[in-house]
Amino acid sequence: MASTVFWEIGLRGRVQYSIYNNCTRRKGTVEDFFSHFQIPIRGSRVRGNALTAPSRSSVSIRIITLTKSSLGSCGPFKGGSPRLRRFLPCSGCLTLVVATLLWNSAVGAEPVHGVHWGFKPLVSPPVPSTRDLRWPATPVDRFVLARLEAAGLQPAARADRRKLIRRASFDLTGLPPTPEDIQRGLDDPSPDWFERLVDRLLESEHFGERWGRHWLDWSGYVDVIGGDNDAGTVKLGEGKWRYRDYVIRAFNRDMPFDEFITQQLAGDETVDWRNASEFSPDIINRLTATTFLRHVADDTDENELNTADIRHGVWQRTAELVANNLLALTLHCAKCHDHKYDPISQRDYYRFAAHFAPAFNPERWLQPKDRNLPDISTTEKKAADQFNQEIDAAVARLEKRRAELEAPARSRSIEEKLAQLPVEIRADLKSALQTPSEKRSEVQKYLADKFEKSVLPTPEQIRAALAETARAEVAVAEEEILQLNHSKKRWGMLQAVYDVGLPSPTRILQRGNHLNPGDEVSAGFLTALCGPSSTGDKLLGTDPGAPWVGATSGRRLRLARWLCDGASPASGLMARVMVNRMWQQLLGVGLVETSDNFGVAGSRPSHPELLEWLASQFIQSGWRIKPMLRLIMTSATYLQSSAALDSPAADRAYEVDPDNRLLWKQRLRRLDAEVIRDSLLAVADLLDPAIGGPAMPIEYRPDGMMVLKGREGASPRLPSRRSVYVLARRNYPLSFLATFDQPIMAMNCARRTPSAVVSQSLTMLNDAFVEEQSAALALRVDQATAHASPAEKITKVFQWALSRPPAPDEASWCERFLSGQTSPVAADEPAKSMVRRQALTSLCQTLFNSSEFLYIE
Amino acid sequence: MSRREMLRVSGLGFGALAWQSLAAAEGKGLPQEGRAANPLIPRPPHRSPKARSVILLMQNGGPSQMDLFDPKPELKKREGQTYAEKVEKFQKGSEANKLLGSPFAFHHRGSCGMEMSEVIPCLGSVADELCMIRSMYTEHNNHTEGLVMFNTGKIFPGRPALGSWVSYALGSVNQNLPAYIVLRDPEGYNTSGTLLWQNGWLPAQHRGTEINTRGAPLWNLQPAHPIAPEAREAQLELLARLNTKHRANHPRESELEARIQNYELAARMQLEAGELLDLQRESADTRKIYGLDNPVTAGYGLRCLMARRLVESGVRFVQVFPPVKPQFQPWDSHSNVKTELERICAACDQPSAALIQDLKARGLLEETIVIWSGEFGRLPVSQNGSGRDHNRNAFTTLIAGGGFRAGHVHGSTDEVGYRSVEKRVSVPDLHATLLNQLGLDHDRLTFAHHGRGETLTDSSVTHAQRVPELIST
Repeated sequence: MASTVFWEIGLRGRVQYSIYNNCTRRKGTVEDFFSHFQIPIRGSRVRGNALTAPSRSSVSIRIITLTKSSLGSCGPFKGGSPRLRRFLPCSGCLTLVVATLLWNSAVGAEPVHGVHWGFKPLVSPPVPSTRDLRWPATPVDRFVLARLEAAGLQPAARADRRKLIRRASFDLTGLPPTPEDIQRGLDDPSPDWFERLVDRLLESEHFGERWGRHWLDWSGYVDVIGGDNDAGTVKLGEGKWRYRDYVIRAFNRDMPFDEFITQQLAGDETVDWRNASEFSPDIINRLTATTFLRHVADDTDENELNTADIRHGVWQRTAELVANNLLALTLHCAKCHDHKYDPISQRDYYRFAAHFAPAFNPERWLQPKDRNLPDISTTEKKAADQFNQEIDAAVARLEKRRAELEAPARSRSIEEKLAQLPVEIRADLKSALQTPSEKRSEVQKYLADKFEKSVLPTPEQIRAALAETARAEVAVAEEEILQLNHSKKRWGMLQAVYDVGLPSPTRILQRGNHLNPGDEVSAGFLTALCGPSSTGDKLLGTDPGAPWVGATSGRRLRLARWLCDGASPASGLMARVMVNRMWQQLLGVGLVETSDNFGVAGSRPSHPELLEWLASQFIQSGWRIKPMLRLIMTSATYLQSSAALDSPAADRAYEVDPDNRLLWKQRLRRLDAEVIRDSLLAVADLLDPAIGGPAMPIEYRPDGMMVLKGREGASPRLPSRRSVYVLARRNYPLSFLATFDQPIMAMNCARRTPSAVVSQSLTMLNDAFVEEQSAALALRVDQATAHASPAEKITKVFQWALSRPPAPDEASWCERFLSGQTSPVAADEPAKSMVRRQALTSLCQTLFNSSEFLYIE
Repeated sequence: MSRREMLRVSGLGFGALAWQSLAAAEGKGLPQEGRAANPLIPRPPHRSPKARSVILLMQNGGPSQMDLFDPKPELKKREGQTYAEKVEKFQKGSEANKLLGSPFAFHHRGSCGMEMSEVIPCLGSVADELCMIRSMYTEHNNHTEGLVMFNTGKIFPGRPALGSWVSYALGSVNQNLPAYIVLRDPEGYNTSGTLLWQNGWLPAQHRGTEINTRGAPLWNLQPAHPIAPEAREAQLELLARLNTKHRANHPRESELEARIQNYELAARMQLEAGELLDLQRESADTRKIYGLDNPVTAGYGLRCLMARRLVESGVRFVQVFPPVKPQFQPWDSHSNVKTELERICAACDQPSAALIQDLKARGLLEETIVIWSGEFGRLPVSQNGSGRDHNRNAFTTLIAGGGFRAGHVHGSTDEVGYRSVEKRVSVPDLHATLLNQLGLDHDRLTFAHHGRGETLTDSSVTHAQRVPELIST
């Protein structure tokens, strides 16, 4: 049944719409139709049966005739409700949908050529000129100021030094500055004091912990393997934490981002680890990097879940996650049908996913336990296994000798015990015990179950029954066994990704259903990101072949090369996505607010030229992250105050730009969950600064709280490591961190959404952890200012907690508070000092609860 | 992005904005003034309400309508025959398309005589309080999407939950408790986790607050170590001074104001919420009817009882979840309808009915809407022999109280229960009707987001309209 849709775009931008088909039962308006499918009619408004085009579009008449057969089975709209069928009498519905999509892509948000901004090749724009020449400190500022000037707004004043030191310290290390850091900054007379501060912080080894954590969010890192749906069960990926350490190291070393991405996508294809005689640190590093592709929930370790659909899901979501993290694309929308908004076809989806198919091949599936890769080479493993087998043999010989030595004493002891049992069962029991357990008859099993424990002697009883010489010999054998076992070779595990055998053909799965495979596709890239002249297939065809190493398809390495070549639209998009996330972390909101969606449905950049310029800089500077952070942080834009006092200028700014998209001030940003916890530990001087290593385990308390294991009831002054080392569960984060919006890692998290809910106040007021840190800070203050006045102690608390001395009014409030808390004076000195300490603890906790402590100003 | 640009890009133009201003000027929109100061202050609805609170008994997993509420003798008659229509399947196992009759008998219940399955005798005993909608339908066959749809109106996560909208619209009568409370199984989340009580783009105060039914009702409700009340008071006073001073530098950051308010709310909650779990004040009879004396019913029963207590103390919206063990989606009967339903009904039937009875006995049912519903229904054809796969085309929802028509059956499905056919009710229709009973017009309850006046029902897209036939006259 054929349908014809006429779109007539008239001279005055008016679009006439009409549909002709064999069925004339259609009721309802055009608007009904579009809105039912939630198809946005971009740049136009729908009125009755006509669309009004946005502008004076070029004149054209488009006539589309489509039949059902030419549309394939895009079945989602089959059947449906009577309401749906009211205006979808026949296959014309499908025609309409397609026509609408064509219309959208023809008109688009950007008329005429219609290439979405995020998919265009990167072109570095000229830096704009501004009227005010003094304010801009970097080219970044000229982009920002140009927009501000155009809007008639002024940038805010520069924040004061203390606030800047605090801001930079949180932003780069996730830790508050010490009073000494503050003093050093205040005392630095040079005009470039801030630049030098930034440089120092970039060199701190805590930098990698802070920015590594961001990367872990974006890439969806968890320490568990499966869906993690049961609070009481943790299924760890053995050695998965090594990836977290890899990320931290990479950030600390400022590994170029292209290399970072290449290692993570295809580290295993860049070294011939399969044939390496031994695993060098470099090989281990490159294999560890590929854990990047192991964050998607994989429940196939349970046999009933090791099914084709779940295997397909793991493979597909891995591809989707990569696309979302690196390209901020909602690739998953194209799994069952062409993307509704973005120029990503279903074919593109499967071509892209095909890169990961050899490693996640549903037909040659490896369950998670079988993916574990020892961190030693096959040769080393063989030698180690051999060595261990020899040890085992030696141990077995010794065990045998020991058994021989013990045998007389043992049988004597058994006889004695048997003698105590009723005579009727003695013989039967004896023969039961002599029969290997798996060969016992039912009666024998019963007897053995019932009497084995009481009849068989314990090792102590046997030892006591041994003769002197035998006893000495047994002791020697036991010691030897212990030592031999100790000398066994051990190795760790890597959660690496590698191709599993030869790739199988990848097919387009109709409606995303693996039972319904369609055309075969070759691995290829997203057409929209391959530039105007080439499609993904063509690009692949002309690719001379990436020099991958070893028995692998090289597909992922080729994907990495495509993303990192610096010139393709894909590189441009990846650079945009990455600089946008840097901006987001430093200014609260990305230039593109939807940092997880750079597609058509995402938000548009607030400063498109600045984004292009930064992305170009990023690539030109060799994909180095630290220089980019330095560039942004030393801009006058970043250095602005976050305060906005009531003033005509602020009123106007709020009037014109209430969301501060134009950046007429810095944003007030709530600390991330981890930073709150780490800051409390740091200020209390209970932060264990050790970098890396296995995660701190957490446990599920009966009341539903997830807490650190082994801290309950432990000494309050037990130091703790940074939050990035807390075991990362997908659904059950540490409750303290979850309260402050640490995300649930269903997939990944490109930007966190800080909330201000009452449970945060309750936590800061009542949680044992906060109480402990308050007490520790009070102790620290008392120790530092042994015989000082309350005023001096208050100053110390402020300096540690808020990086500044108290203002006079604050000091007097605090003094009054302390004296009020200690007023019913206790009799003896120890009691007095306890009351004073308690009051000081309470003061420390109050400052921890203050908004100033929780926000980056 | 400039405001102008944003409006242009959003494709809405100035129309929507103008409409909002107009609505506000005419007093049609909800008052915005004073809201920043305390977003939970109780607010009057658009018109005089029939109900003031809602309890949503969210029966996730997809309860089987033809085995519980919607008798299909035709299914029994044609059991084992191949169904002519190719049904929409979600998982494997239903390929044979063979009709499966219900293993349960249906009986006329109550004086209204509505038919219900023998496996839910207790719900049957409150039939005269129930408005049974047999003609529900939804848009997605997967649990998460279906649940997100039922709770937020669309299948995509990210929109505010129904409870968030109610909290946003009406605030909290009880200033000592959050307006929107979630009672889930302390054993864990179902597969959708916290998605089902998210605030979306509504202010964070409207997110559902989980209250534990085991241990302390809220984490950290009381200090880890006792502190003298006057000491705490002095501490809060000092904190308020510091925060107010800090706030003066950031006069338009509403989040800072919310934070200050939260400390006041926290203090009030400490007093009130502490008593919530104190069941000593409940009579032995009450505890018994909720099944607290039976390990099978005790967990969900306690949550139902808590729901009544919360509504009694003025909470607007309570969302109650069934047990997550042994199945995260407890109503998800893929392999054996009989045994799986018997198991979950044993846990959920009695407490659900007890809640309705108890509310009735206390005169609270009139002003409380109790919803009992899954996210979708199940297929008329068998899966894996004696189970049923997901079905978005038909399911049954029960509603009691709140001015809904009691003892009434609304709509019907086809002869095998595959599709709702008569008087179909979409999820947004149901939402519109619920808001209506709370005195809210679903088209006028708006929140400005990305240049659009967003609503729960998004009726311009979903065509949601309230269903007057569900409401008693």
